[in-house]
Amino acid sequence: MSDKEQLDVLVAVYLIPDLAQEDFDAYTKLASDGKIVTDGVAVVIKDADGEVHVQETGDHLGRRGGEAGAGAGLVIGLFAPPLLAATAVGAAAGALAGKFARHRVQAGIGDKLDDALPPGSAGIIAIHEHSGAEVVASTLANAIRTSIAQIDKASAKELKAGLTEASAGLAG
Amino acid sequence: MPDSGIDRTRLPIRRPPFAGATKRTLAGSAPDWSQASHVQPPDGAPNVLLVLIDDAGFGNPSTFGGPIQTPNYTRLAENGLRYNRFHVTALCSPTRAALITGRNHHRVGFGMVGEFSGPFPGYNATIPHDCAPFPRILQENGYLTGGFGKWHLTPDDQQGFSGPFDRWPTRLGFDYFWGFLGGEAGQYDPLIAENQKIIGVPEAKDGESYYFQDDLADKTIDWLHKVRSEKQKTPWFAYVATGCSHAPHHVPRKWSDTYRGAFDQGWDVMREETFARQKELGVVPADAELPPRNDAFPTWDSLDETHKRLYARQMEVYAGYSENADWNIGRIVDAIDEMGELENTVVIWIWGDNGASMEGTLTGTFNELTTLNGIPLTPEEQIGLIFKHGGLEAWGDDQLAPHYSAGWAWAGNAPFDWGKQVASHLGGTRNPMVVHWPGGIDATGEVRDHYTHVTDVGATILDLAGIPMPDAIDGVAQQPFDGATFADSLADAAAPERHTQQYYEILGNRGMYKDGWLLAQRMQRIPWEFDPDKLREFGPGWDPDDDPVELYYLPDDFTQSRNIAADHPEKVTELRELFWAEAEANNVLPLLGGLTSFFGMVPPVPEESKFVFRGDIQNIPSGMIPRIYNHSYTISADLVIPEGGAEGVIVAEADHLGGFALFVQDGRLKHTYSMLGVLEYTQAAERPLPTGNVNVELVFTADASKPATGGEVTLLVNGEPVANGRMEHTVPGRFSGYSGMDIGCDNGLVVDRSYADKAPFAFTGEIKQVVFDVAPHLSEEDARALNEHAAQALAAHAASA
Repeated sequence: MSDKEQLDVLVAVYLIPDLAQEDFDAYTKLASDGKIVTDGVAVVIKDADGEVHVQETGDHLGRRGGEAGAGAGLVIGLFAPPLLAATAVGAAAGALAGKFARHRVQAGIGDKLDDALPPGSAGIIAIHEHSGAEVVASTLANAIRTSIAQIDKASAKELKAGLTEASAGLAG
Repeated sequence: MPDSGIDRTRLPIRRPPFAGATKRTLAGSAPDWSQASHVQPPDGAPNVLLVLIDDAGFGNPSTFGGPIQTPNYTRLAENGLRYNRFHVTALCSPTRAALITGRNHHRVGFGMVGEFSGPFPGYNATIPHDCAPFPRILQENGYLTGGFGKWHLTPDDQQGFSGPFDRWPTRLGFDYFWGFLGGEAGQYDPLIAENQKIIGVPEAKDGESYYFQDDLADKTIDWLHKVRSEKQKTPWFAYVATGCSHAPHHVPRKWSDTYRGAFDQGWDVMREETFARQKELGVVPADAELPPRNDAFPTWDSLDETHKRLYARQMEVYAGYSENADWNIGRIVDAIDEMGELENTVVIWIWGDNGASMEGTLTGTFNELTTLNGIPLTPEEQIGLIFKHGGLEAWGDDQLAPHYSAGWAWAGNAPFDWGKQVASHLGGTRNPMVVHWPGGIDATGEVRDHYTHVTDVGATILDLAGIPMPDAIDGVAQQPFDGATFADSLADAAAPERHTQQYYEILGNRGMYKDGWLLAQRMQRIPWEFDPDKLREFGPGWDPDDDPVELYYLPDDFTQSRNIAADHPEKVTELRELFWAEAEANNVLPLLGGLTSFFGMVPPVPEESKFVFRGDIQNIPSGMIPRIYNHSYTISADLVIPEGGAEGVIVAEADHLGGFALFVQDGRLKHTYSMLGVLEYTQAAERPLPTGNVNVELVFTADASKPATGGEVTLLVNGEPVANGRMEHTVPGRFSGYSGMDIGCDNGLVVDRSYADKAPFAFTGEIKQVVFDVAPHLSEEDARALNEHAAQALAAHAASA
């Protein structure tokens, strides 16, 4: 697997939060089983009262090395501090000091996703090597809509552009 | 007026001859106080509460084995009687017309619904004067009469300020009416009529959302209190028709949340569970068979998890909605009890004017108007739109106008097959009825299995009240009731059946019942199919006798499960001939007389194309707004903008799930158009409106005069374009089933939610006039084509109303 391989930036939305959680768990299992190489995945669950919960997994999934810039908190870094402050952040809570948390991706995509989710729904944002696209697609079986953009590397600039493109794809 | 000697056979009852004496002065004159008295009902006549639930199945209420908890229905049944062979027509207005007139629905012009006035006697939606409703008979005999809730018997184009009013409730036997005139209403924002006037959309109070069903019970109780405060003994008749369980399925979450998880087993299992409970209750015979599953509906196991969860939530909301109706009717019953009058009140409570509705299509819909406008949406699109409009948690609140999947309707009609519209099958025609009358029924908790029909109710009530069927009303000789009294069955389980023969017909689906036999001929059309291509199959060349024939002997086959047509060809022939004879006698012919517009018979092209609105004009019923559908149109408004500017709505129709608004916000002219919540378009001027006398105009230039046409929108101020934009698709048939159009504000739910916090967002300048031109440059050919489409759209909408 080459470091030069393109990355897929995936955004998926769910009508049912626990089905998003199921897909999130399946995704992380793919990564831990070595079937995909991910730079991070987050599930955003908005409960019936409109309260947002974000979970991210990235540290232990066999992601690529630091030279690719995919430090811990890559995905969680998408979310603005006020949102994170109100969330139950999972294993990546301590990783906010990571590169992307420090520089924070200011695309606002995470916030936009939050805005787009109605109460009682959920979304997943994931970044992985394109070679895993097929298996990921079959794994996220419960998504009601999925959009993917490709970027060359996991830089903040690329990620911002990719997420913008992927989110736009959800609007169809 | 003394009871003895009153001739009640000619109404109004004539004042008796003066029995006193008159002289030049009072000296020697003898009074006759009967001259100053009013007609009273016969001695001992009971109060009557008649309740009708909407769009519900035999297998819905727990009282009849269903999964929806109906404790109030059950307590009346346990102290009264369950009728398990009670029948309706399979469609809304037809059942209501048959109920209040006691005649077959076609005989009184209601082969279709109030939204459609057709060109044949059986389909003109106009109750004839020689078939006066029984409430009028009660009224003329001295009863106090009140009608509450859904009416649906006033033609669509007669529901405004200009009348005519002779088909409004107050001219058909009700002293007082409060409710809505059409086929449906949002439970949070209904357009209310009171007596002979549209009074508007009720406002929320105390920070709580307005809820129609709660108000319906309050208004009924209030009327009972008021009339009783003035007339201590006069019997009353109250007709309470809920908007529930018709779409939109609206209910506060606290009601639906009690059913969380209750339907996760799916409709196939629910149907079997209901059937088992029905046998335990004895409302279905122990030897009855559940008809085999209908392949028109997908098996629950074939669905993916997201759809299972979505559909389960749909049914949770429907169940909560229905339970709320039970609770509110229970409040009325409690109020009567507190008044000390339950003992002498006959309660007749019918759970459904037809079987449960399958018009949500297989997926259910976030907005029932998409179906009624013929907008096809895939399951994926439905889910996407639900997501867009608030997600699953919004199912039941005012963000959606939802209708559940047809699978739930089918299961809710257990143990019968099919449902609403399908007059050939018991799923469409057999509904629960409970009769409660402590003062008149000794037997309690028993089941009556007499064949009864909705036309029997009026005759039974008159029988119980001791009031004869009049020969004439207002000098018009009256046709006899088609129904027959079942009053003696209240006391006697062995009382003979009097209703031994009944035809059924709705939208081409037909049945002929006689002495236990039922001939069933279902037109080969799924109830939610209204595309012209499908309907053309039933145009010239269609021989109804070629439709598949089914024959059942219901005394041995409660559920219509065993088709024995092949074994009894002579019975098939006999009943088929009888059907045609009944059809001719009852104005059923021509078949499909309610769908004429699909077969080249369209109403005349309207002559009016320009509509001018001046003054305080609000709440124009949705069926009476200018027809801006499918072609170019303009809306022009002459305004006076004060120094400092103005804001607010100039004109708005309906809401965010279908409608349009021309308004001023932040000083700028804006237009928002919601294509049924599927697509939204907004155009906004960049610069503020000038002050003083200002003309603003919206010009929609259609691509072509065709259904759902796209086109260009231009906003103009004093003739100068200030904004433009494109609308790729527009509403082809109707924005709303109930929500009205307002000049100078946006009543009820708003079109553009950006001003929802200021609703109704009344215009702060002056509106001199608003002018619609709905036919600029329209060719005669286009006008004819559009008129045909409009008529088809109306018919398709109406069939589902």
